[in-house]
Amino acid sequence: MKVNNIAYDCLTQYCEQGFGNKEIIHWIHKDLSESIYSYNYFESESNKIASVLHELSITTGDIISIFLPRSPILVSSFFGIIKLQAMSCILFSTLGEDALLDRLGNSQTKVLITKNSLLRKILAIKDDLPELKKILVTDIDEHQSDFILSLPELMESESSDFDYPHHLDSETPAFLQYTSGSTGKPKGALHVHGAIQDIIQSFKEILGVQSDDLYWCTADPAWITGLSYGVIAPLTTISQSIQFSGTYNAENWMNILKDKKVTIWYTAPTALRMLMQEDEGIFDDIRSNHLKRIYSVGEPLNPEIYHWGKEIFSTEVYDNWFQSETGSIMIANRPGMEVKPGSMGKPRSGIQPFILDDEMQICPVGKQGHLTLKKGWASMFRTYFHKEDAYANKFRGEYYITGDLAYKDEDGYYWYVSRSDDVINTAGHLVGPFEVESALLEIEEIADAAVIGVDDPLLHKKIVAFIVLPDDVTWDKKLELKCRVYISNKVSTVATPSDFVVTDKIPKNQSGKILRRVLRAVYEGEDPGDVSTME
Amino acid sequence: MEIKEKLTNVFREVFDDDTLIIHNEMTADDIDAWDSLSHVNLMIATELAFGIEFKQSEIQSFNNVGELIKRIKKKTSESE
Repeated sequence: MKVNNIAYDCLTQYCEQGFGNKEIIHWIHKDLSESIYSYNYFESESNKIASVLHELSITTGDIISIFLPRSPILVSSFFGIIKLQAMSCILFSTLGEDALLDRLGNSQTKVLITKNSLLRKILAIKDDLPELKKILVTDIDEHQSDFILSLPELMESESSDFDYPHHLDSETPAFLQYTSGSTGKPKGALHVHGAIQDIIQSFKEILGVQSDDLYWCTADPAWITGLSYGVIAPLTTISQSIQFSGTYNAENWMNILKDKKVTIWYTAPTALRMLMQEDEGIFDDIRSNHLKRIYSVGEPLNPEIYHWGKEIFSTEVYDNWFQSETGSIMIANRPGMEVKPGSMGKPRSGIQPFILDDEMQICPVGKQGHLTLKKGWASMFRTYFHKEDAYANKFRGEYYITGDLAYKDEDGYYWYVSRSDDVINTAGHLVGPFEVESALLEIEEIADAAVIGVDDPLLHKKIVAFIVLPDDVTWDKKLELKCRVYISNKVSTVATPSDFVVTDKIPKNQSGKILRRVLRAVYEGEDPGDVSTME
Repeated sequence: MEIKEKLTNVFREVFDDDTLIIHNEMTADDIDAWDSLSHVNLMIATELAFGIEFKQSEIQSFNNVGELIKRIKKKTSESE
């Protein structure tokens, strides 16, 4: 089946239709100053980047990674890459060296687009990345070497026109989205250009953004929400949207909502929970603002936060659910439907979730089981890049096993219960325990380590590290700092444990698997239950 | 060692960047890796380096590096 290139649906078609000069993205900088960008701007910049990559012999199927904080050049780079039918891989700019190495290595990235201040992280690992041919730096004026090139200098000599096939096979790969698993290294979920159909449909059906709305999705484009619903979806609708270069700051966020007159706001439960802790004074003018609806995604929106948000913002808060692997919203609360606080909502059109037991039989209403989705929707991931076995393990026949446990009530609403594996959902980020444990074990004072997720009122789950020290090492604040800084810089700040517990031994079964439920029970002061399999 | 010089070393350790140079107007917006989570690391590292302790309410109260330096000065002079 033929579909439009995602870049055509988002940019080129509107330039062809005479909307090129339409102000489409209000970019709010960290100092709250604003720049406004049009379709023409991103069309022309992405054309130049596509030309640059073409000159560097990048072709269909090659991986180009973008390691940048949110910025206009990130958006232009994404579209430039997919115009060339290469694959884009956007990485969080907070990732540490080990996490970068895992992702750039697995994807066999050929060209990396980054900024000068992030370059040192790449240079520290470049010898382990034989496939990496060039680094394009967005904020240096001159090339540093044959390997480190100035993107502005390369773009300067390129035309703002670039001819690319607007229609292509729907299965043409478009982008990789890395996600953590409970074991092993992170996995790159591969999405195709055909995903655009589901992204557009879900944006209309669930978020319902109209041409007179001002829409703000707070997610970073390195997150599937930020890419699908922060970058791609709004550009397909001629509605204006906001991008903010800064991170969470309650005062700045409230000022943006008020001053820019945002009408539809898509954010995360953790952000709402953090706002709930703020002095109520900052919400003084919020009740009379222009907000029509709030949406949230990433972790469950607990009823307390739902009621608080509804009262403070005087509007409905719609929680929804999807994953890096699903590419678009699968289950959602939405206008025209009664909201059951704490529920994920109901499936959107064409999506068929099932709650299955361990034998893959459908659970009765109200019974908890594996949340699965009947495969075949357009934005479903097509593989885990270079990890076909892991991909195959996510399916049982026709069903995609999401890794979440949930139940369905008598009215057809779905309710999230927990993960079925050891992946930790902290502030909407999935963190694999293996990544953190591996980094901890690189620290010479740590003899053994295990990591668990524990309920937290702010983060949904906080990361707790159990560590074993050699006899001659004493735990103190200095060693704690060493561990914290090491994890932050090698893996990611979001993977940094909130708490460390020194223990004599990590409980493992006879095959060496960490018994995390025992650690969870120990941490929470509960009975660990059956420990007969313990080594 | 001057407070600023010592604090520069703290920043370099926390953000794993030997080239970092701090200045009074510097904020979290100026360092890519400075988010709410690494801020906790920065506070712990500052406490250890200067032998001081921040109250919970102080930890989020610094608007820039200059304010942090002022607070360190005050706390270190109090403990002398």
